[in-house]
Amino acid sequence: MRKVLATAVAVIAVAAAVYGLNDPYAVRDHVFPSGGAAEQAAPKLMVMGRVRGPDGLPVAQPSVDLQFEHTSSTGAPPMQLSQADAAPATSAPVQAQSSQPVSGTPQNTPPQVDESALRYFAARNDQARLQAEISRLRALYPDWTPPTDPLAVPQNGDPQLENLWRLYADGRFAELRKAIADRRAAEASWQPPSDLIERLEVAEARARLVNASDLKQYQTVVEIGSQTPALLTCSEVDILWRIAEAFAETDRDVRAKDAYNYVLKNCTDPQERLATVQKASAVLDYAAMQDLLSSEHRNEDGSGEFDGIRDDLSRRFVAEANEDPKMRITDAYVSRVEKLAEDGSLASDALLVGWYRLRREDTGAAEKWFRMAREREDSASASQGLALCLIAKKSPQEAEDVMYRWRDDSDDAKNTYMAATANLLAILPPPVLAEPVLQRIAAEVIKAKDEASAQQFGWYARNFNQPQTAARWFETALSWKPDDEPSAYGLVLSRNQLNDQAGVAAVQRQWQGRSVRIANLGETTQETLSAQQFAQQGGQPPMQQYPVQQQSYPVQQYAGQPVNNIQPMQQQPVAARPVPVLPLNAPAPIAQTYAAPVRTAANVVNTSSRGARPQRGCSTTVDPDGLAPGAALSRGWCLMELNRPIEAADAFGAALKRGTGQVREDAAYGQSLAYLRVGLTDNAAVSATQAPLARKRASELQVAILSNRATAAFDAGRYRDALLFLDQRAQLETERVDLMVMRGYAYLNMKRYGDAMQIFEAAAQTGNREALRGLADTRAARNNDY
Amino acid sequence: MMFSRPLFACAAVLLATAMLLGGGLVNTARAAGVAAADWESYKQKFLDGSGRIIDNGNDNISHSEGQGYGLILAYLANNPADFEQIWSFTRTELLLRDDGLAVWKWDPNAKPHVIDTNNASDGDLLIAYGLALGGAAWSRTDYTAAAKGIARTLLKSAIVENGGRTLLLPGLEGFGKDDREDGPIINPSYWVYEALPIMNMLAPSDRWQKLADDGKFLLRAMRFGPRRLPADWVSLASQAKPAKGFPAEYGYNAVRIPLYLARAGVADRMLLTWLAEATTVSPAATGTFDVATGQVKDTLTDPGYRLINHMVACVVDGTKLPDDVRRFEPVLYYPSTLQLLSMAFIAEKHPECL
Repeated sequence: MRKVLATAVAVIAVAAAVYGLNDPYAVRDHVFPSGGAAEQAAPKLMVMGRVRGPDGLPVAQPSVDLQFEHTSSTGAPPMQLSQADAAPATSAPVQAQSSQPVSGTPQNTPPQVDESALRYFAARNDQARLQAEISRLRALYPDWTPPTDPLAVPQNGDPQLENLWRLYADGRFAELRKAIADRRAAEASWQPPSDLIERLEVAEARARLVNASDLKQYQTVVEIGSQTPALLTCSEVDILWRIAEAFAETDRDVRAKDAYNYVLKNCTDPQERLATVQKASAVLDYAAMQDLLSSEHRNEDGSGEFDGIRDDLSRRFVAEANEDPKMRITDAYVSRVEKLAEDGSLASDALLVGWYRLRREDTGAAEKWFRMAREREDSASASQGLALCLIAKKSPQEAEDVMYRWRDDSDDAKNTYMAATANLLAILPPPVLAEPVLQRIAAEVIKAKDEASAQQFGWYARNFNQPQTAARWFETALSWKPDDEPSAYGLVLSRNQLNDQAGVAAVQRQWQGRSVRIANLGETTQETLSAQQFAQQGGQPPMQQYPVQQQSYPVQQYAGQPVNNIQPMQQQPVAARPVPVLPLNAPAPIAQTYAAPVRTAANVVNTSSRGARPQRGCSTTVDPDGLAPGAALSRGWCLMELNRPIEAADAFGAALKRGTGQVREDAAYGQSLAYLRVGLTDNAAVSATQAPLARKRASELQVAILSNRATAAFDAGRYRDALLFLDQRAQLETERVDLMVMRGYAYLNMKRYGDAMQIFEAAAQTGNREALRGLADTRAARNNDY
Repeated sequence: MMFSRPLFACAAVLLATAMLLGGGLVNTARAAGVAAADWESYKQKFLDGSGRIIDNGNDNISHSEGQGYGLILAYLANNPADFEQIWSFTRTELLLRDDGLAVWKWDPNAKPHVIDTNNASDGDLLIAYGLALGGAAWSRTDYTAAAKGIARTLLKSAIVENGGRTLLLPGLEGFGKDDREDGPIINPSYWVYEALPIMNMLAPSDRWQKLADDGKFLLRAMRFGPRRLPADWVSLASQAKPAKGFPAEYGYNAVRIPLYLARAGVADRMLLTWLAEATTVSPAATGTFDVATGQVKDTLTDPGYRLINHMVACVVDGTKLPDDVRRFEPVLYYPSTLQLLSMAFIAEKHPECL
């Protein structure tokens, strides 16, 4: 109790001491009397708002704002502001901090013009400060005429004051503060010239503003600016820039624009005007910049004062438009950058317009610019832009090729690459892709867990009649996106084709009530009919092996290939077959039936095994090593029928291991075929030597092996090797037309134009389209080379 | 709290003195807490013309703490012109943060001079305190207004509640509960106890009193190692313990704790003698200590350091100060500052010890 009382007494004493009041809570009114300097208009400058919070008190983060226009009391529009003709302000002592008692200064009588600073600067031959002081005084006192000889301004007989001005001129503000205080202590009647105090306060505020600006303390910057109107003039353009930056950095772009606009409307220095536009363009948006640019002056020759930076402005505007497809900018800026791209050599300019066109869905125009950019400097952005154009124009194969190198550059790049692969696999009729391409796509799809491309892989495999492979891809897609109905549909189709009735039932159970087409699978539909027909043809080319009769040539490897020829050839055999009309781009037509959450994969296995019935044939999994050689051999052929070549190779392997005589020869032949079907050419070659084969079979295998090797070598760009394999193959069998075409392209790539012409001409005799194209390519390449 | 006197007595008396002298007539009669000659030597050594106090023991840098001390000493020397000079630098070069607090460090050899925009809360406290004193003494409403702004921000941002206690975060960045694993971190020597009631004048809140009470409560609980000493930097994540990443020492920060307690009018014999006894290395030296081992790290013989324990003896027992700690011959900024603050306090409150 005693303590509380004592404390209270002490509190009152301190409050009285601090505020000279008996009521500590009356402090606010005392310390911040209403009205005062802040309210006066300063028409020659920008009038400031007062610094105060909602409670009328100055606060740490005041709701301060600068007013770059006049207060309504003056009624003068902001555009009329200029340094020279500004109306005089009642000298604006820069307020609150000034505790220098002003009672003694005749604030309300016409102020006498204190010319001592002029004399001082003239004596020091400080022309810059002299001129600044003259314009300051002129603005302040319109009727005042500057002395013709500032040096003749009579000394006021006050050498101490001279010393104060010297400290000011030297920027020694703290010492000036001290000197003023010392003199006031020594001479009670002395008052510092209000002019000096005002200039000192402005100079300190300026230093503080610059420091705060350098430290990115933008609130402080704005606050000081609002308290110091004298800083917001054309003689302090750097301060105006810093104020503008502070506004921009604190999300007050309109105020930032006002600050830049003030310079352009009022200030005349050409360099500063130019720099103002440059600085503004780094922070303001397109619309605000158009407003600023409307203040551009015309030079005498009719050119604009900002012409020198118009290229950069155009680039900057196009870049901004690239962020927002809905944004419209004047065509002149776009064509300016287009011209820069065409006339210059910068990839970046081409990129800018490429993206501008692409964002506005003009992919035809965009493609040209992206190709130009890539020629100058390949980059993720250029490749991505080009890939998007190519996807749009349905050339996903080139898109994949363009994007592959950059696929890991960013999420966007990866998405673009994945879109290219999904589109590529979805093409109808399905393109025959070179093995390395398929492998790299598969690797990326798995790495990215991209369900869309995995699903497309499933359909792609189905199109080449590889239901086993298709089923795996569909399962993979489902493991990443369990509610992907198209993948489930693909899976059930594939299992049905593989006679895996238990597997079919499992999928149907899982999707019960959620997919009509999965439920209706057993019924004969056009789709299932086609799928069955497709399967019944048997012996279809496995996905990663290119049976020679439908080998395509990765013509895009040839650099001179015209763009519009890049589409893979329409494969005769594929086109001729009844291709099932599958939902290649997988919009689920009955998506609205999705409802229940998706079961886990484990359920599939359980239900499947529970419903399993004894299977005939080879659709169940068994270990072939447990089978008699003859049974293993039968199982191998059976598996080949089901197009499950890997398992077939195992079964043949079991037969090879223990079988003798004919069984052994059949097994070696079968295993070799199985390996060929999955593209394991080397394994196939080994298998072929495991048993003595009948001449016909040996030759057949050899031909197939050499075809595969030639193709693989060609795909890998080893044209010399490809020719070697083709030569070996030709000794066993007459070269087919498609292989002739491949040979032709091998020559072409090796720049053996004569040989290429000869072989293409021979092949073209048969009417083969690819051979005709090869002739054209060769001619074009030869012309380019000469 | 058994021997506690009114906590605010010291500051209140100083300020009341200013009040009695009234308005602008301060220059005439007030007895200076710091002798003019001592202040003159201090200025010669540590005050640059630009208004910055130079920490010559730390590569001649300046900091918000030094500027705050400079303002308080100029006030105690009753020198408004020097105060004005120091304030000019403080405001122009340090008081730049958006929240109105001071950046903590200014390096003459760095470009820009300020690199880290973090604050040091004790520096802010000292500056606000000095401004409040000067504003009252010389009727400078601009000083008082600036002090208020700092006090408000400290209250809002630097004073936090943790585990039922009210704490002063040493800086706004990097010390809080969420800023580091062993946060919050406090520095017990950042409690400038004498300034807290003044802060309550500037930005009224009962949290200032709670901060003072909890500061002493926590201090009493910091008895680490064989010497049972507080550490400069203490983690309050769970039980108080020396903070990771700082030397676990009763260091140059902590040596001023008894000074702050005494100047705030704390006369708790046990609290004051605890620190004085634990830190006396010899009759002629005090020190900094490794709190884990209790070993002396640096032996401190500058009179400014040694005076602190003698001041404690004066406060609790009325023991006279030896002559050698009364002589002011400044060498280093920090002990010289502590010496002037101690001497001003003794001259004002315990002239019997002189």
